[in-house]
This record gives sequence, C-alpha cells and structure tokens, in this order.
Amino acid sequence: MDIQLKRGLLDVCVLAAIKNEDSYGYQIIKELKPYIKLSESTLYTILKRLETAEMLTVRTAEHNGRLRKYYHITESGRARLEDFRREWDEIMSIYRYVTKEENNE
Amino acid sequence: MNKQEFLEALRQKLAGLPQEDRDERLNFYSEMIDDRMEEGLSEEEAVADVGSVDDVVTQIISDTPLSKLVKEKVKPKRRLRVWEIVLIVAGAPIWLSLLLAGAAVAFSLYLTLWSLIAALWAVDFALAMSFLYGCVSAVVFAVRGYGFSALATLGAGLFSAGAAVFLFFGCVAAAKGVVRLTKRIVLGIKSLFIRKEGSK
Repeated sequence: MDIQLKRGLLDVCVLAAIKNEDSYGYQIIKELKPYIKLSESTLYTILKRLETAEMLTVRTAEHNGRLRKYYHITESGRARLEDFRREWDEIMSIYRYVTKEENNE
Repeated sequence: MNKQEFLEALRQKLAGLPQEDRDERLNFYSEMIDDRMEEGLSEEEAVADVGSVDDVVTQIISDTPLSKLVKEKVKPKRRLRVWEIVLIVAGAPIWLSLLLAGAAVAFSLYLTLWSLIAALWAVDFALAMSFLYGCVSAVVFAVRGYGFSALATLGAGLFSAGAAVFLFFGCVAAAKGVVRLTKRIVLGIKSLFIRKEGSK
C-alpha cells in the first residue's frame, strides 16, 4: 500500500479503535491486527501525533498494581472520523464508476 | 532477554533523547510488555514480541526531528563559567568558520552525487535525440539517392535508441539509489547525536 495513504489510514484506524470506549496501547494493537499491521513504535508516534492535534486525550489509571495509559477520543477526533467517512463515500462512488467501466468491456 | 534487560538496553541507546521523552518511551514499552504477560505470554516471549532493541531504536530515531537531538546534545550539563563563555564567543571566528567549511564540503559532495545523476539523464536525452536525428537524416539521404549513407545513419540512430532505453533503467536505478542513500545519511547523522553518550 502507498505509504502516505497508509499513514492517513493508520490515524483513522487508531481513532476508530477508541471511538466506542477508552482503550490502551496493547488493546488497540490487538483490535487493529486483522486489518492493518501496526508496530509498537508506529503506534506510539501516531498516539503522540493525535494527542498533539487534540484528537485524543490521555489519562493514567492503575491496573493490577501498575500504571496504564488510557486514550479517550475528543470531539475533533470524532469530527476527523466523520470527515473520513464523507471522503471515502466519495472515493467509493468513484471506485464503483471505475470498476463498472472495466466490466462493460 | 527479560523485561529489565530490554528496558535498560533501550534506556542506554536513547541517552541522546531529552529525559522526559525517554522516560515516556520506556513507560510505553514497559506497559506493552506487562500487558502481553498478563495475557499469558512468558516474560521472554513478551519482550521478543515487542521487537528487537535495535529496530525499536532505529524507528525512534527516524521519528525524532534532528533539531531536538542536536538541542539535547549541545545543552550544557551545568552552567557555563564566565571564561568558557568568553572563549566560545571570542573563538567564534575560528570554530564557526571551520564548522561552516565542513558543512559546505559535505554539502558539495552530496551535490556532486546529484549532478552525476543529472549528467546521466543528459546523456540519455542526447542518445534519444540522436535517434531522432538519425531517422531524419536517413530520410534526407534516401531522398537524395545516397543509399549507403541513409542505411548507416539509420543504423547509428537505432543503436542510439537501444542505448537510450538501456541507459534509462540505469538512470532510474541510480536516482533511486541516491534517494536511499540520503535516507541512510540522515539516519546516520541522527544516530551520531543519540549514541555517543550511551556508554557513559
């Protein structure tokens, strides 16, 4: 897959992984595993970027006697997901048009 | 490798990062390992699953802007004494010009690489043009009745065309090679800043 495209997709995937409930690092990786390959280091970079862009917030909570970071999606994070959905509706309609042409030949 | 060894190795190799960044990274990997162990993996398996120390370090270095690494590197570990400041300022005409000269030399070497690539493309373009020229002059010769000359120029033209196609792949490969080299140089410069202090 194109690197720029994958980068954009990864951001959205991570946001989607925390959209229903707050999640933590390893949980996010497990959740995305069937869809997209994501290493620890890449996830760290994405989380950092999304935090700086204020698309998610971080809180630290105790779990089994140690600390764990939980990530919570913000309103602008949800707006990003909504933008993604709208963009891809457009792309999918183009996709259908392009593949339809191929079938007619 | 157990968790403690992994984190310690990582800590040493990331000595060039600002303290705060480094601690945050280490906590992140520590949490990742703990979560895997909680799922039933052994400590060793959990560490191996997170990746090798070197891979992790390489990734972190390429994610960190060079400016941050340099800033951390040149930040004095203690307050400078007055005579040190005087020396640095007074010596500026010497060390600053040396530094600039060094950077200029490195930059011109790098530029040379790209001019070689440009030269390759120019040769390729010239070959393609001589194919066109060969075809045109072959027609002219043929019209005027010089059969052998027409054949000779046509042959030379075709030869150029073949060479141009052949060289084209070489040009593309060379350009890609320089791009790859650039990435490695940038990574190398960054690790220069991050590694030196790791041993102390």
